[in-house]
Amino acid sequence: MRISQTGSLLPKVERGRPVKINVDGKTFDAYEGETIAAALLAAGVYTFHLSLKSKEPRSMYCGMGACMECLVTVDGRQTLRACMTPVAEGMQVETCKDPEL
Amino acid sequence: MSETYELAVIGAGPAGMEAAITASQAGVKTVVIDSYPQAGGQYYKALPAAFTAVSKTRTEEEGESLAQRLAGLPATRIYNALAWGIFEEEKGDGWLVALDGPDAPKEVHADMLILANGAYETPVAFPGWTLPGVITCGAALILVKTWRVAPGKRALVTGTGPLLLSAAAHLIEAGVEVIGVCETTRLLPRGILYGPTMLGQWHRLQEGAKYLSVMRRGKTPYKTGWSIVAARGKDHVEEAMIAKVDNNGTPIPGTEQTVKVDTVVSGYGLIPNTDLARMIGCKLDYNSQKGGWVPVRDKTLQTSLPGVYVAGDGAGIGGAENSRLEGRIAGVSAALRTGKLSTQQAEEINRKMKPELAQQRRFGRLLGDLFSPKPGLTSLARDETVICRCEELTKKEILAAIAEGGESVIWVKRMTRAGMGLCQGRSCGRLVAQLIAQQTGQDPGQVPPDTQRPPERPIRLEILEERAER
Repeated sequence: MRISQTGSLLPKVERGRPVKINVDGKTFDAYEGETIAAALLAAGVYTFHLSLKSKEPRSMYCGMGACMECLVTVDGRQTLRACMTPVAEGMQVETCKDPEL
Repeated sequence: MSETYELAVIGAGPAGMEAAITASQAGVKTVVIDSYPQAGGQYYKALPAAFTAVSKTRTEEEGESLAQRLAGLPATRIYNALAWGIFEEEKGDGWLVALDGPDAPKEVHADMLILANGAYETPVAFPGWTLPGVITCGAALILVKTWRVAPGKRALVTGTGPLLLSAAAHLIEAGVEVIGVCETTRLLPRGILYGPTMLGQWHRLQEGAKYLSVMRRGKTPYKTGWSIVAARGKDHVEEAMIAKVDNNGTPIPGTEQTVKVDTVVSGYGLIPNTDLARMIGCKLDYNSQKGGWVPVRDKTLQTSLPGVYVAGDGAGIGGAENSRLEGRIAGVSAALRTGKLSTQQAEEINRKMKPELAQQRRFGRLLGDLFSPKPGLTSLARDETVICRCEELTKKEILAAIAEGGESVIWVKRMTRAGMGLCQGRSCGRLVAQLIAQQTGQDPGQVPPDTQRPPERPIRLEILEERAER
């Protein structure tokens, strides 16, 4: 969910230009400047990939590019960190894709 | 043709920006590199360039003014680029910094390095910590402050240290119901001993008071001596179990309570990021007050390698003010080494910073003393709890490897693959070291972290192929 509240800790900001991204075949609204992780969480998509062995759902954990738990496939490019990758108009995001070598 | 500099500063947070400003002002040919698109790091958290701030907090203004000062100097700024490897030049006369970024050169060369890589969050494994909806304190702050996205509707904040209050207050202001903050440390009566140190920290006290007042308005209880013991849910957090903990951080049976939440924010303090320092072979030392293993430095902040300096939280957790001062000292040292500043000029600048530096270091030690994660917290993980998130290895598997003779992080890695996954041990390294120390009766200072090899983060194979071909 995107935040509309403001306050002394969260001064008002204007988001970037609206863009549309495609996530697993569905279209979602996003804003320029957001990362893929931000757009997915705002849209209520929480499972980003599945764990190696037991295929359990995993999602963004550290938010700063260290833990590698937010990996998604973007325009065919595998294992990109959703928390470090900005959205772009028409971007194709795939979650839970088994990496191929 | 690759670019050659006298100094490469890696990291553009408080320490890196100050280091680059100081060196560049003195006339040192400087390049500053950061993996984010803008300067600021995790402390200043610059808004995305496409966002516009209608008004700003004091911290945001401070970060912006530093970034602007840096931008007004001749230093080259390479942002949005990962410094994935640092290699000693064949002739031993400097360093090659390998980069990966859309607008970055493939590499830069520098005679000297200032590493200003900040810190990571200390991972604490509890049952359910891999469930979507469990995030770190840092992640919660980035989500809310930078991206303006709420992680959920009802959150529990758990861990130790002042960041918990910051995270809770920001979440409340964002409209998230924060049902409680569980602070593992019992602050009283020990906290009182530190009163005099805190008196020198008005800015921080004010900040803390602001967080507490937001929490009061949100009717959020601050429960000291409590911790999460488990998060549960099918595909996402649905509830959390909390319990009282003893002074050692071990949960007290019979005190458990279950709370309905969709988000767990877990923050157990920070670990200095020594990845690059370890990669190039800087000597490390263990210091629990500084957050664990840190590079050994002299007064000029030079490491065991000549011309390589480390400044800020990457050399020991000390906070943003300490990082800024250290950045300046490292910048002065680099300028002195090139002869751009005389010994007298350098001493003069450093002397002026001395009283404030001493105060900030006292404050850093206080935080280290009060809020370092307690050893009992390792008991939160059950036999079946995952320790290595990437390779999905449980505590039971790690303990079995230790029992078979895995007395170091490297041995446990060889035996189990713990730390060989995509995160390169950033999440599990500390947890594995703690388990080894406990099981083998060693002091944490006897269990060094794993070696670090390039690439520091996963990169495309083409990049490595290109390097190999040359």
